[in-house]
Amino acid sequence: MAEVRLTSVGKIYSGAVPAVKDITFSVPDGGFCVLVGPSGCGKSTLLRMIAGLETITMGEIRISDRVVNTVEPMDRDIAMVFQNYALYPHMSVYDNMAYGLRNRKTPEPEISARVAEAARILELEPYLERRPRELSGGQRQRVAMGRAIVRQPQVFLFDEPLSNLDAKLRGAMRVEIKKLQRQLGVTSIYVTHDQLEAMTLADQLVVMNQGVVEQIGEPLSLYERPETVFVAQFIGAPPMNMIDLAPGGGGPKGLDGSSELPVPASGARLGIRPEHLVVDEDGRPVPTRPGDIRLELAVDAVEAVGAETYIHGRLGGDGLMITAREHGKMLLPPGTSRVFTARRENLHLFDAATGRRVDI
Amino acid sequence: MQKRSYFAGRMLPYALLAPQLLVTIVFFYVPAAQAVWQSFLLQDAFGISTEFVWFENYQLLFSDAAYYQAISVTAVFSVLVTVAALSISLLLAVQADKSLRGAGVYKTLLIWPYAVAPVVAGVLWLFMFQPSLGTLARGLRHFGVDWNPYLNSGDALSLVVLAAAWKQISYNFLFFLAGLQSIPKSLIEAAAIDGARPARRFWTIVFPLLSPTAFYLLTVNIVYVFFDTFGIIHAVTHGGPAGATTTLVYKVFNDGRAGGDLGGSAAQSVVLMAIVIALTAVQFRFIERKVNY
Repeated sequence: MAEVRLTSVGKIYSGAVPAVKDITFSVPDGGFCVLVGPSGCGKSTLLRMIAGLETITMGEIRISDRVVNTVEPMDRDIAMVFQNYALYPHMSVYDNMAYGLRNRKTPEPEISARVAEAARILELEPYLERRPRELSGGQRQRVAMGRAIVRQPQVFLFDEPLSNLDAKLRGAMRVEIKKLQRQLGVTSIYVTHDQLEAMTLADQLVVMNQGVVEQIGEPLSLYERPETVFVAQFIGAPPMNMIDLAPGGGGPKGLDGSSELPVPASGARLGIRPEHLVVDEDGRPVPTRPGDIRLELAVDAVEAVGAETYIHGRLGGDGLMITAREHGKMLLPPGTSRVFTARRENLHLFDAATGRRVDI
Repeated sequence: MQKRSYFAGRMLPYALLAPQLLVTIVFFYVPAAQAVWQSFLLQDAFGISTEFVWFENYQLLFSDAAYYQAISVTAVFSVLVTVAALSISLLLAVQADKSLRGAGVYKTLLIWPYAVAPVVAGVLWLFMFQPSLGTLARGLRHFGVDWNPYLNSGDALSLVVLAAAWKQISYNFLFFLAGLQSIPKSLIEAAAIDGARPARRFWTIVFPLLSPTAFYLLTVNIVYVFFDTFGIIHAVTHGGPAGATTTLVYKVFNDGRAGGDLGGSAAQSVVLMAIVIALTAVQFRFIERKVNY
């Protein structure tokens, strides 16, 4: 069990722009930290630096108070699950899991006990003698997990372990990973580009963009209070609607109520999540309070998925595309114009120049 | 997955196979059959009279001490060349796979020897090690080595082994390098995290995954040593001194072409063919089982 602490960590490939810049955060003992961001944001590089597969050019990484900057991967007491699983194709499932223990000269009876235990937890018992190529994607994924578990490391590192699975299996494995991590209580760092995976797995979410950390926190607090435009748009699906406001608070045609907002001198971006847009039922407008925002949308397309309905419409008839999410079925005919209301407490306002949150 | 192909017409598959079959028949089955027929004949040196003698050529062959010497020379020669060519090329490929800067130049330079004809390769090595003129031979003498491949059978054998291995290294290198590059990097990283040091990673992960390549190269190299090294031996030693570098294939040439014993030479080539077929069969039967595809 261990705490992982990163202090001003950076990585510069020779002569190029920095891949990772000045990253500081710590994962408490037993915590589940998810690094999330678009591809190329440096999240995988950062994970590989923690694993010891990439050199650290700046700052310091500590695992349970030991600085590991120059420690070999094998001596960091970590286990890693790779995106392509990296199973040894010429070894049976049993040997794949036993390999790391054999390298460490673990006595053979203990190896078989540990592998048996891991196989039981992961329901791999019937497959121990098989080769990886004889297994399905989900089973391979579990073998990769098993290989990490048997080592009983201080830290688990996951590099997009679910991205090669189909959507259904991905959902199931996500739940399993979370359950397993709770059960074993091993500090874990998990990399993904899938914000849904990130939201559901993490105790602590680290949103990265272009090599820097945008925001760190609990998943729901990031969702409810994004500190930057990037986080606001990255977390949540469908993404948050963003409307540009002029310095005085004037907005585009079809937007009403924005002059009440504390728009900074450089202008602002107004963010409204789709589920916070409430449509006026036929002839019964939503009662508004001071500070609420009203949008007039010309309905473009309606996607009813059963439990909820996504309404895509153009602001003021032909302006910005805005998405609203309503409960239940709501079959508005395309081309009709509707008014949507967003409560003041659900609005997000960002400085147009810095992209940072402005308190309302 | 559908593995069997279906063709619309009956003739098309035969037409597609025909060119390859034709080449195989003309250049392999016909000469092989001729050799078998010839091996039962006895001809005088001028080709005037021919007599059918059944197995007399074979009887003579197996009572000839020089033939047994050629067998043992071939065995030593093929083991030395194969081991040297495979191990050196594997070492070079592992280094090329690691190195980053100048890897392209390195690879290109390593591939050149393959484009050199066997005789030219032989002459090249002969020049370097010619006792009185060769640059490297003079170096050896300088260090007190009594080097003379014309008189010393050990020196002669080393020289042809060196030349033959050198020429085959580039071919092996290409295959080993391609094999190494097809091993996903994450496997090596996983092994590193799993506590395997570089040497152990090589023997437990990399080498087993290279085994199909190594097996293929072993077969190809043995066939190469048996047949294609003829040019090198002919250019460097002419099989000498005193038959020290006369391999089976060189003896076939020497007895038939130079000695005029066509029947005996044909019998030798039939035996040689049987040996190579047997060796290849043994390799597929016993070694292939241990290979991980």
